[in-house]
Amino acid sequence: MSTETNQNNNPDEDFLVVENLTTTFNTARGPLPAVGGVSFRLGHNETLGVVGESGSGKTVLSRTIMGLQPRTNVEVGGSVRFDGHEIVGATEAELREIWGTKVAMIFQDPMTSLNPVTKIGKQIGESLHVRLGMSKDEAKARAIELLTLVGIPSPEERYEAYPTQLSGGMRQRVMIAIALACNPSLLLADEPTTGLDVTIQAQILNLLDELQMKLQMSVILVTHDLGVVATRTDRIIVMYAGRVVEMGRTKDVFKDHRMPYTRALLESTPRVSNPSHTRLKTIPGRPPNLLKLAEGCAFAPRCSRATEKCSQERPNLEPTGTDGHYFACWNPLDNQSAPVSSSTGSTKEFGEDNVRS
Amino acid sequence: MLKYFIKRLVALVAIIIAISIGSFFMIQLLPGDLATSILGVANTPANKRELYARLGLDKGLVQQYLTWMGHVLQGDLGKSYITGESINTSIGKSLPIDLEIIFLSQIVAFACAIPLAMKAARKPNGLFDRLSNGLTFGLLSVPSFIIVVYLVLIIAIKAQIPGTGPGSFTRWPEWAWLFTDTGMFFTTVGHNLTSMVIPTLALSIGSFVVYFRVLRSDLIATLQEEFITMARSKGLSSRRIMWRHAFRPSSVALLGTAGINIGGLIAGGFVVQYLLAIPGLGGLLIASITLQDYLVIQSTVFVVAVAVIVINFTVDFITTLVDPRIARD
Repeated sequence: MSTETNQNNNPDEDFLVVENLTTTFNTARGPLPAVGGVSFRLGHNETLGVVGESGSGKTVLSRTIMGLQPRTNVEVGGSVRFDGHEIVGATEAELREIWGTKVAMIFQDPMTSLNPVTKIGKQIGESLHVRLGMSKDEAKARAIELLTLVGIPSPEERYEAYPTQLSGGMRQRVMIAIALACNPSLLLADEPTTGLDVTIQAQILNLLDELQMKLQMSVILVTHDLGVVATRTDRIIVMYAGRVVEMGRTKDVFKDHRMPYTRALLESTPRVSNPSHTRLKTIPGRPPNLLKLAEGCAFAPRCSRATEKCSQERPNLEPTGTDGHYFACWNPLDNQSAPVSSSTGSTKEFGEDNVRS
Repeated sequence: MLKYFIKRLVALVAIIIAISIGSFFMIQLLPGDLATSILGVANTPANKRELYARLGLDKGLVQQYLTWMGHVLQGDLGKSYITGESINTSIGKSLPIDLEIIFLSQIVAFACAIPLAMKAARKPNGLFDRLSNGLTFGLLSVPSFIIVVYLVLIIAIKAQIPGTGPGSFTRWPEWAWLFTDTGMFFTTVGHNLTSMVIPTLALSIGSFVVYFRVLRSDLIATLQEEFITMARSKGLSSRRIMWRHAFRPSSVALLGTAGINIGGLIAGGFVVQYLLAIPGLGGLLIASITLQDYLVIQSTVFVVAVAVIVINFTVDFITTLVDPRIARD
């Protein structure tokens, strides 16, 4: 999916257009800007990776794109245009029309995201029956097909299983089957492999790859793990404190990142070429409290390159010159003059962990 | 699943045996002398010996218990020492009245509690939620005998709907003919249901309040769950999400509460029965305690205890259907 051909075949980037999207929760201690002005475009069959630490707004962003954020005490601004629908400001009844059938989501935790007291087959068949108007028998037959599609052995038996009777990896496959049941054209995968062990992670990600090819979907892959996005996305957005700090084509971001935060993330991801028992770098400090965001760059307090300007004025996204590659930093890295380590910038370094032979 | 139920069934039998022993020996601890209440002034030592021999009370306690249990196992609860009436007949007359009141009151309680709890849980802390929460909290602290007094005032006195009496529907041996005469059927059933209005309401309010509060808080918790967001993302209507996705996982505590509550009503509904002069089990029990009619007390307590256990067993069974995780071992 990271092949160039995908992009060239689908030059239209207007399938999903997000403009200056903001999500603010009204909390007892004041407004909390979980997403603070995010803009990007996504084309047909394209895969976008959204990367950032816990609490950087990735999950809220993906839910807001779908319109799935809670309805009370939330303010959403900006615009999300998806295949001719405006999501921001749409009523839940309007959104229900496209949920499941045009846009679907794979949730983070397959342990809690499946109904514990309903057979998994029923959970897959439900949208087929309710949304596509299939008869109960048709829905059952199709649900079994979907279970086969996502690689669940003996699907007829598993149709009758309850979620607690399945392993984590199996449950995530069921979740994928539910999301794909009505053939959505946009799939939001919110940390789809975080709760799973590493070998299962690779299987699930490869399955997603395969299904994207087969079913022709655009995918937004939300993750904190750069290793996950390296070989599986066309483009990447790096988020910090609810804002985009760097975005561009995946290989550009890996090879030629400008934002110190992107490098910090890269350096804190384990890599194949490192000798064993190498200590991973960590990012000092913690993500900022979104209730008390300072004037300047949100990353400044944790950044080794921060200057006075960084804490006074917030940098905007600037183009690097490479097509579609933007960064927000006053003191950007220059990888030509100061290479971090020879391997940091290669997507291959991350890919080999994950690609099944 | 099967293993789970066999285990439960064995436990059930064990508990029933324990209760039969308990109810038999506890009666022996009661103060008072049976001979005095039966013989009155004729309570001479000779008469007393003769009476005890006739009733089998001169035998050892263990033997008495085994004799009683032997009869109970054959479906014979014995005869009243005082009136000589078969206890099977007395309980057969009263128990159906209790069961009808409980059945009707539970239907009313669930029919009100479930939709109202759903409405309240949809917007926690919304106007409806706060109103209904406050109201039920108030009702929770009002005892049922106060409610009965108000119901009698409003329904029987103001609205002129007959307030007491068991109705004729529950006279079991005779009701077979009802089904051959349609006109009579509706008159009798109508008469019976009218007389059930006040006791049903009186008992249902207490149950409703508890069910509403339990279900409401569980629904609110369930609606926060990730699988509800997941169900929304499938594009399902909020009605469907409420009934198909939120209700079932939220009803485990509700069922448990209902089991305990219904069990309590079998014996505990007697305050309401007493106030409305309804000849249910409670009335029978009070009368036999006053007369020191030991065997009636003992057998009634035993029947009530068995009924409570059977109801809770049934509730447990329903719970495992609702949440299959429970029966998995």
